[in-house]
Parts: sequence; structure tokens; C-alpha cells
Amino acid sequence: MELTPPPNIAKPSLDDSEAYLLLLLADGNLPTGAFVASAGLESFFKHGFGGVGLGGGAGGVAVKQGADGTVEFLRNSVASYARSASPFVRDAHAVVAAYIRGEEGLGLEEALAKLGELDALYEAMTLNHVARRASTTQGIALLTLYSKGFTKPPGAPNGPNEEEGVDMEDFVVEMKLRIRRGKLSGHLPICWAVLTAALGLQAERSVWLHLFLHARALLSASVRLNTLGPYAAQQLLLHRVRPLVDEEMKRCAPLHAGLDDAIDGLEDDEDVRPANTWPLGEILAARHDLQHSRIFNS
Amino acid sequence: MDNVITPVPQVPLRHIFHGRGKAVLNASGNTASFSELSYQYPLKLLSPRTVVDGPVATVYVLSYGGGLVSGDRIDLEVDVGERCSLLMLTQGFTKVFRARGKTISDPGSDGAITRQRLSATVRSESLLLLLPDPVTCFARSSYSQIQTFDLAPDGSAIILDWFTSGRMSRGEVWELDRYRSVNEVQIDGKRVARDVMLLENLVPGRVKSRLAPYGCYATVFLFGPAVQPVLKSLRVEYDTIQQMQLGAPEPFIWSLSPLEKGKAGILRCAGKETETVRVWLRTALAEVGKLVGKDVYDKAFV
Repeated sequence: MELTPPPNIAKPSLDDSEAYLLLLLADGNLPTGAFVASAGLESFFKHGFGGVGLGGGAGGVAVKQGADGTVEFLRNSVASYARSASPFVRDAHAVVAAYIRGEEGLGLEEALAKLGELDALYEAMTLNHVARRASTTQGIALLTLYSKGFTKPPGAPNGPNEEEGVDMEDFVVEMKLRIRRGKLSGHLPICWAVLTAALGLQAERSVWLHLFLHARALLSASVRLNTLGPYAAQQLLLHRVRPLVDEEMKRCAPLHAGLDDAIDGLEDDEDVRPANTWPLGEILAARHDLQHSRIFNS
Repeated sequence: MDNVITPVPQVPLRHIFHGRGKAVLNASGNTASFSELSYQYPLKLLSPRTVVDGPVATVYVLSYGGGLVSGDRIDLEVDVGERCSLLMLTQGFTKVFRARGKTISDPGSDGAITRQRLSATVRSESLLLLLPDPVTCFARSSYSQIQTFDLAPDGSAIILDWFTSGRMSRGEVWELDRYRSVNEVQIDGKRVARDVMLLENLVPGRVKSRLAPYGCYATVFLFGPAVQPVLKSLRVEYDTIQQMQLGAPEPFIWSLSPLEKGKAGILRCAGKETETVRVWLRTALAEVGKLVGKDVYDKAFV
């Protein structure tokens, strides 16, 4: 079997430091809070979708049905999440990257204010208390991860951003402070952008990885729900997830959050703005807490 | 203005229309009246004279022929004055017909997309009840709707936005080209909600597989002091639900999410049949009858 080179929108060559970052960020043991989030998958199966009942007999037939159901959910969830969240990852990443570069007029205050606006818009566009909760929980976990897991310990050599003289550690501390004070929600797409930009990961790679990890978390959740076998999950990850994420990346490349859209700008004939494309998924995700028994938080 | 009979103009095929309209409601004492109620083809506004107790008014938003032809555009501005209550209704489904190409009369236009825009201001101590019939997007239709609501800090609104899968009797199920609906709510100038619903059949059958088995989806936004009793009754019912494992999807499903620290809410529901959703909504929002009077509320969800 021939492995094709990894997807690469901006076509830079995959240098060693980027490869290393990807290995770190894709680690299943990374404390991101994603372990307890099923993005509505558990609710999907509980409500009779996907063709298999949870907690029923595990057997050859049931697991196969689960695979179809999981794939159906995966396709719709990745597509909808890509459409609603990736513009925010992209826009937030641009703000942080510009701040790190030392762009004129974008000091700490201005950068945080801009991120705050993106965060508030994402909150206004995510009208589902379960999704909001899962998003902010994971977002804050990523900021904590940066502070406690990725900042330089004493005595270590300089990282990619230290030459600029910008202290991302202070930036993240300030962000967490604002979240504690209720001035910021700390949504996942924005925090993911902060984390990856601070680590020096390039924008499109950051978006791609975010979608990949969303898909991977869904597959892990399905395995834990016993609706997908562990080997089947790996098969899907290798053969199905990649074309799916690549397709969504292509479709979502021109998207931006639309922060500065005035009333007239609310039209979107060119399909360049975030949107919810799966109303059924919304309802099922919001109903997560109604489940009599459940193993996930969302 | 609403007593003038406007003759339907003779027009060439595929001429697009931009129907602007404006409704301004004011209270004086214990009654409410429109200081303005203007409209242009293909939009028509009708306010029936009914006996009500209090500054309450009803307005029907109609389109000629009961449907919107490709390229038509409706622009409606509504101002609900202080202490007023306004119920906005339609008479029957808003049918969106199949998209057609560039128009002959205006080749520079994007004749294909049918658009509706509503811009509502809800002033202090007033209530807007937007309870239209659903939008039905026929096969190959392309529809875009923008609704913006500017609420005073103590203004209230119940906004229903719903759509169905098409002419189910013809076996037309989610065969639209594109459906986009934006609802943006601001309270005291601060944006609190921007709901963007987008359905696109980029690949034939995509929307149908995503939305199955439901043929009707609805969203209800609830904001403001006046909606608290309705919100409470919904929450009480929602909190009793204990979802057990189902063998197959139920014919109707609903979710309720608090907004604004519980002072507002968003309800979403879906049903296999539009009628199921209609009946359910009528009961779910019945508390509203106490706000505007049962006679007025009964005109909705007929």
C-alpha cells in the first residue's frame, strides 16, 4: 500500500518542528477534555438513530450497523462543525499570529479584545447549551494545557516564538483571567487557535488538525459506546476520515467568521460565512442531558 | 392605505419584484393603532379590525398568489411601539418556487435567489409575536431570509421560524437547492443571538439524508420579561423527560436551551409531519394566550 503525502493546503514542506507538534497535539492522552465529549453521538444512538441500540447485545451484526451509523454521524458532524467552527479557528489564529509578529496597533489589549469579539460571536451563533458547555470546557482545558504543559520549563532552549520577545504565557494567563471574570467564554475554536498559534503551527494546518481531532474523538467515543469496534475505528480513521476532512477543508477554505458584517452583510450568496447545516444534529446534541443514563458529558 | 385595491400590473415573464413594506404600531391609552401600514407588490399587509382588550394588534403578511417567485424580494420593516403587542401572521404556507435564471428585465440581477428580509424594532415594555406559517421550499428553489430584531432591554419577543420539506403529496422531500435563514437578535444594542440555518443540496439527496426522517423543522426564540411564564412552562415539561434507549426515531422531537443566563430560551423541534409540529407548538406556546388574549392567539397555528 502506498501512502500519499499528508494533505497540505498552503504547500509548505513538512519540516521537523511541525511534525513534532502534530505528534504532540494528536496524542490521545493529551488532557484536552475531549475524552468526555461525544459531540452528540451518544444522544444520536440513544434516540434510535444510526440503526443500533446502545447497551444492547454486542455481536457481529450490531457492530456493523453501528459502523454505518457512526459513519453517517461522522460525515454530518464534521461537515457541520467545519462550517460553523473552522472560520473562527482561522480568524482567531490570524489575530494571535499577528500579535506574535508584533503587528502595528495590535498590542495585548487589542488582540484580546479582538479574540473577545470572536468568542462572543461564536457564543451568539452556538445556541445550544450542551454544545456551549462542551466548547468552553474544552477551550479552557486547552489554555491550561498551554500554561502547564507547553510553556518553557527553566533552563530549556528558546522555542520558535521567543525570539520575537512576545510572551504568550502572559497572553494566556490574561485570557484565563478574563474567562474567570466572565468577560470571555473561552470557546474551543478560539482557544485552539491561541494554543496552536502560540506553538507556531501554521493556520491551515491548525484548522486541518482541529477537524481531524474532532473526527478522531467521535470515533473514540463510538468505540467506547460499543457501537464501533476498535479495529473498524482505525480503518475509518485511515480510509474515510482523511478524504472527509480534506473535502471539508477545501469547502471551508474561503470562510471567515463575519465579525464585521453589518446588516446587509448578513447575506451570504458566496457561502463564505459560518452556518449550522445540520438541524437534526443540533436537536440531538441539545437533548444530551435528557438521557436517563449516559457516559459522556455532551 | 389598506383599503386601496391595487390592480395587479401586467408584466413580462420573469420580471422580479422588490416589495417593500412598513408597519409602525403605537399605543395610545388602552388601544394600539398603526401610524403606518404601507406595502408594495408582491407584499401585502392586512390588519383586521378585531375587538381586543388592551394595546394589541394583529397583522397578516401576505404575498400575492401565496408564494414567492424566483427572484422576488420582500423587505419588511416593523416597529412595535412602547407597551404594544403585535401578532404577525401569514395566511398559509409561504411557498418558494423553483429558481430560474437571470431575469430578462434585469440581467445584472441574481434573479434566482428569492429573498425575504424582516427588520423589527421592539420597544420598551412591548411584545412581538412572530408566528407565521412555515416556509415551503419547492424542488430546485433557492431561498434566503434575514430577520433582525432590535429589542429594548425590557422588550419581549417570541419568534417562530420554521420550514418544511416541500410538496410531500408529490413525493417532494427536501429537494430544494438552497435554504438559508438568519435570525439575529440584539438586546439594547448588544448581539445575543445569530442563528444561521443553511441547507444546500450540493449533492442531490444530501439534505434529505441529513434531515430524515423529519419533514418539518422549527425554531422558536423567546426573549424578554413577558415570555417568562411561557419559558417556565416549557422548562417544567422539558425537565420531566427521561430519555431511554429507542429502537427507532420518534415522530416528533424537541429541545430547549436556556439563553441569557436562563432569562431567554431557544426551542427547536422537528416532526415527520408538519401538522404534528403545528399542533404541538400551539399547545406549547398556549401561555401566550394570556398575553394577548385567547381570541388573538387562536388566530395563530390554525
